[in-house]
Amino acid sequence: MLSSLELNQFRCFESLRLDLQPGLTIFVGNNAQGKTSILEAACAVLRLQSPRTSTLGDLIRMGPGAGKGFSVRGQYGDCELSLRHTAKGGRKLAVDGENQGRSSAYLRYSGLVVWIASDDLALVKGGGSTRRRYLDFMASQLFPLYRPALKAYDRALRSRNFLLKRDASPNWAQIDAYTKILIENGGVLTRHRSELVAALAPLAAASQKQISGQDESLSIEYQAASGTGDDLAAELLRRRPDELRRRQTLAGPHRDDLTFMVNDMPAAKFASEGQQRTLALALKLAQSHLFIGKTARPPVLLIDDVFGELDPDRRNALMEAWPEDSQKLVTTTHLDWLDSSRVDARIWKVDSAQLRQA
Amino acid sequence: MKQVEYPAPVKQLILQLKRLPGIGPKSAERITVWLLQIQGDSVMKSIAESLATAELEIGECEVCGFFATEEGCGICDRSGRDDSVLCVVEQATDILPLEKSGAFRGFYHSLRGRIAPLENVGPLDLRIESLITRLKSTAFEEVILALSSDVEGEATANYLAELLAPFDIKISRLAQGLPAGGGLESADELTLFRALEGRRTV
Repeated sequence: MLSSLELNQFRCFESLRLDLQPGLTIFVGNNAQGKTSILEAACAVLRLQSPRTSTLGDLIRMGPGAGKGFSVRGQYGDCELSLRHTAKGGRKLAVDGENQGRSSAYLRYSGLVVWIASDDLALVKGGGSTRRRYLDFMASQLFPLYRPALKAYDRALRSRNFLLKRDASPNWAQIDAYTKILIENGGVLTRHRSELVAALAPLAAASQKQISGQDESLSIEYQAASGTGDDLAAELLRRRPDELRRRQTLAGPHRDDLTFMVNDMPAAKFASEGQQRTLALALKLAQSHLFIGKTARPPVLLIDDVFGELDPDRRNALMEAWPEDSQKLVTTTHLDWLDSSRVDARIWKVDSAQLRQA
Repeated sequence: MKQVEYPAPVKQLILQLKRLPGIGPKSAERITVWLLQIQGDSVMKSIAESLATAELEIGECEVCGFFATEEGCGICDRSGRDDSVLCVVEQATDILPLEKSGAFRGFYHSLRGRIAPLENVGPLDLRIESLITRLKSTAFEEVILALSSDVEGEATANYLAELLAPFDIKISRLAQGLPAGGGLESADELTLFRALEGRRTV
């Protein structure tokens, strides 16, 4: 668990030091006071990425007296993790004061994170890229080879698409130099994603039943966009005439998707709003349970602005279903929902980037 | 009153230094001031002379792409090299580490870059044409692609492997894996994975 968190020049915080306890911690306050930034800092120091942005530079505090970089430090277990980022020098990582060049070396000492937010509904209603991000965030935490493969795949894909667009008559010799890289790394992504979905599906189905309190069946299907038998090489060859017409790469993990079926009907189209909300939550709970099953280390749950939105039934179901051992950091705008006689929580009031214990 | 600025020659010097890689406006100014203030020693003169000599005398070896002088290329003209292997590198500067290692005694070919469409570098910008000419005229038995292991390096290697396939030559790539003398505990997962993939029987 994360026992302390220290922010410097991070988002709206000039500096903040916070001791954290196991179990439930709640940050309450109006909008735009810095609640989510605390969760984001926890995510950044544990996973070196933020669910809100893909560039670390965005996390640097802006406004009068702003610095040229930020730092976040966190005590996780018996290791002190430190992430610094400056506009000039880039990212600097350290564990117990010892510099780490590679993120893989750093992450070895860190823990897993589940990010639960009100916009998780987009997992059901939104486009495929949201679902791929969900898979990517999970898979990069579980499989050390996943992130390097994803990075190489993305770069090769951008180069390949660029070459397809640039020339009136595409130079296939050059394009295929990248096709080969797509196939190699795409294979790693597809393999891990399908393994992941296979493990996730039963957990999500159980969560769906538990949260809805009804016999709602949920099945998840992984739709790999790599052709039959995952033979991306053959599929790309087959799609070549199409690629020539549309000038982009038409097969591969960047077009993968997930289909959710509730009671055998596609959830995006036929499920009620309530069922969709339940599903979004079930997917994140399943992720938490999957992490526990795969790593024996309870993940840190970062829950952003979810409680105010949920109806009492789902809220109670969530609090009953989340992993007991996990540390939970929760943000909310009001505490009306909290039955403090039943729930043991530490509460911080957040107001203009200042914290005080309630 | 008009603001005082550096005299034109000083500004010009700053401007020229700024063109060097890794030198920004601040460093350029600092170097300029240092050059102007240093006493006694004729630093500026010797730098200027070195630059002029280099421009005049150093060229690129037409065969391998390494630095050459009027006396020719230190690699291609030297006898006693193993003429059965050719090592393809991205930059002329990649040759020296290989030379210093003493592990390679064959000939080199510098591509002067790698295929990187996102940086607007294509095969025609590289010394690939001259590589083909060379392979046609010299009977090498093996071509070693000693390119970097990032996406662009891989792509360049893939491209060359395909292009050279019609030649009856063995084509190989450098192995990837554990650094020599290093233990397993310090290697990251990808390195270990590649090292396992590229393992050999003993």
